[in-house]
This record gives sequence, C-alpha cells and structure tokens, in this order.
Amino acid sequence: MKIWILPTLLVLYTVSINAQDNFQLARPLLKYPSVFFTNEVAVEMAFAEANTQIRYTLDGREPTENAPLYTQPVRITKGFTTVKARVFSKIYQPSDVVEATFIKDGLPIKSLENTAPNPKYKGSGAMTLIDNKGGTTNISGNTWLGFQADTVDIVVQLPKKEKVKNVLVNLLRDYGSWIFLPEKIEVYAFKNDAFQLVDNKAFKQDNNVNGAACVPIVFALKNGIKTDKLKIQLHLVKQIPEWHAGKGNKSWIFVDEVKAY
Amino acid sequence: MGLLGATLPIQYMGKQEVILGHNNKRYKINTRWSQADAARYPVNNCHEMVQDKKGRILLLTDETRNNVLIYNKNGKILDSWGTEYPGAHGFTLFHENGEDMLFICDNNRHQVIKTTIDGRVLMTLDYPKESGVYAKAEEYVPTETAIAPNGDIYVADGYGKDYIIQYNHKGEYIRHFGGKGDTPAHLSNAHGICVDLRDKANPCLVVSSRLQNAFKRYDLTGKYLETIDLKGAWVCRPVIKGEYLYAAVLQSNNSTGAQSGFVTILDKNNKVVSNLAGSTPQYQGNQIEEMYQTIKAFQYPHDVLIDDEECMYVAQWNSGKTYPIKLEPVI
Repeated sequence: MKIWILPTLLVLYTVSINAQDNFQLARPLLKYPSVFFTNEVAVEMAFAEANTQIRYTLDGREPTENAPLYTQPVRITKGFTTVKARVFSKIYQPSDVVEATFIKDGLPIKSLENTAPNPKYKGSGAMTLIDNKGGTTNISGNTWLGFQADTVDIVVQLPKKEKVKNVLVNLLRDYGSWIFLPEKIEVYAFKNDAFQLVDNKAFKQDNNVNGAACVPIVFALKNGIKTDKLKIQLHLVKQIPEWHAGKGNKSWIFVDEVKAY
Repeated sequence: MGLLGATLPIQYMGKQEVILGHNNKRYKINTRWSQADAARYPVNNCHEMVQDKKGRILLLTDETRNNVLIYNKNGKILDSWGTEYPGAHGFTLFHENGEDMLFICDNNRHQVIKTTIDGRVLMTLDYPKESGVYAKAEEYVPTETAIAPNGDIYVADGYGKDYIIQYNHKGEYIRHFGGKGDTPAHLSNAHGICVDLRDKANPCLVVSSRLQNAFKRYDLTGKYLETIDLKGAWVCRPVIKGEYLYAAVLQSNNSTGAQSGFVTILDKNNKVVSNLAGSTPQYQGNQIEEMYQTIKAFQYPHDVLIDDEECMYVAQWNSGKTYPIKLEPVI
C-alpha cells in the first residue's frame, strides 16, 4: 500500500499546482434576431480571441473537437433545432457549451389576453407574447414581459377549433435578477363551455445553475385536444428560497412568447 | 501510477504560456501573488487597491477583521488595520502636501471617511443634506471618491442616486451633478470616478456609468462633455497611469451573473487597445464592437492598480474570498 501513496500524492500535487493557471475559455456568442422564426433564421457565432475555433452541432449532441467548424452563419429551417457551440484552443481548456433552441411558427393566433405585466417590463405592448420576437437573455430590451403577480394568466384565442397537440411557453431563468421559473404551470383548454385542465408541470429551482438562460417549456397534450381557446396559468415562486440573496422575497416570472401546435 | 505522475507535468509544460491582452499591453498572470494566510488576514470582497509613496500595495476589503491589508510588491503582508468599515468599497489615495491621504467610501455607513495612511480618521462626510436631493442617509450609498489637484473631493453615489457630489478640501458642499435620468449627462450605476489630467490644458472627470457600459466625461465643474461607449463591459472605476486608462470590468453584458469579468485598457484617445482575458478590441468607424470575456482568468474584477513598475494588480468582488492577482507586462 505504502508504495502507492507517494506517487498518488505527487500526481495530486502536480495537478493542483498546474491546474490553477490552466484557464478555461469562455463560451462563444450566438447572435440571431430572435429564436422564433417563420421560414428560416441565420445564426451567427462570434469569439474574438486569436487561435481559437468554434465548433457546433445541430443534433443536440455536445460539440467535440471533431464537430463542424464554424465559418459562416448557420441557416436553420427546422423547428425545435438546438444549436450548441463551444470554443477550442491549444492553450486553454475548451469552453462550456452555449445553446439556443430555435422555434418555428405554430397555429395562427387570433387574439391574446394576459395579466398586466409590471410596468417596468411591459415588452412592446399587447402583442408581445405572439410577436415572434425574443429568445435572448437581455431583459432591458422590449421582448420580455415581467410579472410579480401571484398568478399570471395568458389566454390565447385561435381563429377556429383546431386539434392542439403541443403548447409552448418560453421563459427566462436569471437568478441574478431574481427571475425564477414558476412554481407550477397549468394548461387549460376551453371545452364544453369551460376551461378544463389538460396538463401541468411543477418546477424545482436548481441552485447550481449560473447566469441567465431561456427555457422553452413544451406541454404535449395526449392525442391532441380540439379547442379554439387555451389558458396558460403560471404560479409565481412567492418566496425566494434560502440559498438565494433575495430569500423570502417575491420572485419574478419573465415570458416572451407562447405558441400552440 | 508512477508513470502517470511523470507524464502529467510534461503535458502541461507543453502548453504555451498564457499571455493576456493585445497590442503593446500584454501581461503574464500570477494568481498566486498574495502570500497572506487566510486564517490570519481574511478577506471578503476585495474591492479596491492603491499604492503609497513607500511603494506598498494597500487593499481595501469589507472584512472587518482587517479592512486594509498592506503588502509589499512581492505579495508579503507587512501590516493591516481597520475594523470599522463593514461596507468598505471605494479607496482613493491623494498626495496632500507630500503626505499620503486615504478616502474610504463605506456603502453600509453611507459615509466617506478620510484617514491617514495608517488609518487615523481625519474627516467624515455624511450624506449631503445641503444638496437638497437626499431625504435620509439610506438614499446615499457612496462607491468612490476622486480628489482634484486643488483638494476638491468628488464623491460618486454609485449605489444610491447616481449623483456626483463635489466638496472643497474642507468637506464643504459645492454642487452635485449627474444623477439618474435619460439624457447623456445622466448616469446609471456611477460606480467609479477619477480626475483625468492627461490633457494638461483640459483636466476632466471620468465617471463610470456601469449599467450603460460606458464612461462619461465632465469638466471639473460638472459640465457634461462626452460618453465613451464600452459596449458589453460593466466598467468599474477608471484608473489612469501615464497615458493609459485601465479599468476592471466586473462582468460581460452577454453573460451576467456568470463570473465573466475581464480588464480593459484605453489609450490617450480613449480607444480600447487591449482587453485582458477579453475579446480583441474591434472598431467599426468610431463604434466599438461588443466586448466580452474570452478566457476565464478572472471572476468578478472590481479594481485595478498599476504600480510604479507598471505591474497590474486586480482585486475581485464575490470571487470566493480570493486575494488579488498580479500581472507583469510582457515587453
């Protein structure tokens, strides 16, 4: 046993003294007008650091050194395509993965009503949630609606009865700005003169995540549901958990788009 | 196991040495500069640093066991003082008739405190009632001071109402300017300030408007002159040494809350010439392209100090109670 202890310690020691300055690259930038698109969207990637390469995937796999090299904007035409990109170099450790999911138009929406947002985050007005704009983490732009109401109702009216198979709501998670995923989201369909609960999801807050991210939530409705009106109800985290600097306070909910398919 | 132990260091030695920055402002990084024993000389947030006329490096932290740590340039602790500054944030050194004077901004106490180099309190400035824009002390959260050659004191209320308050050397209120609002002369998170004497004929103030990712220039009476756009960079206080302006960038706007800081350096024309651990500066005409962290060498840099040998020290906020990092210029 003793024979092995010294080399093991040596390895640990060598790694720890060298590892400190073996810096990691930061994530590359993804640039796009919006993650929501009608026919196609061009995704630009940027990383202004000499002797580095951006590699990316469109199939959901983590990019490795063998993944396609980014040389020009990537065209996306298929809905729910996730772009994942990462930077590599000989000097530094590879970056973490940056990703964005691009979302194609759904069923036409005739009109929309939602709980009034906080006046500080009122987006571009009444149509903000169906304007096909958003999917960036910048909350000072005008794509997001920010809410601090205990429950947020979003009612979507379709032009006619359709078989709705999926409902999507795009949310922001940004703990630094006190923006949490809702405690729970419920989806209702209007049937037989009343809203009926058709799906719901509960969310646990993960204190290991850092930074801001867009989180598209998709509700798959079993066998589809024939309706012309949907209601999405989001329930606020009324007390920020203990591990957060804002503990005990109200959180925020940020939404930038809803869709039905 | 023995074989593995022998091969690992070779692999690392094969890597190229890390050089940060661009153009004629490139540096080697030493993350192990500080020799402070964390049990004896603890730090919390390392907010700002200055160098005194003896060449010593002074660090201000909001750890009240020792608010000020005094180092030599090799990272050895020489002395410490201060237990009464729970919100220690801004730290400015001014040569007053040949003597080193210190100005501390305390966020929690809502005060600016002038001390001798060894911590004896000479003057305390409370919230500026005379300005007429503050109803109570809590509205005033000073983050930085700058001292003009005539002794006038400029205080940046960077976590309060974003006014710059100007006093004479006795601490008597003269005027206020800046503040929150929508015109170019207004400020948003006026986190830092310095007196810029690079153009001798036109001395001016450079003020951080951190949430706007910009510096703003004013003359010494508070008249707004221009905005220096630093797209993407949450710039802390401007620090001038020679012809250059240096600043810690707390984080990149494209990646907030994710330890995405770097250091930026501007030339005498206020054009970015180098970003340490940040993107290569690029201009389209006069417009700078968005800047961002590229190498995770820093977490949340909060201040830079350039010493008499042109070495740089970086103090960091909220970075795991780590001590300052030293960087040596590469000639």
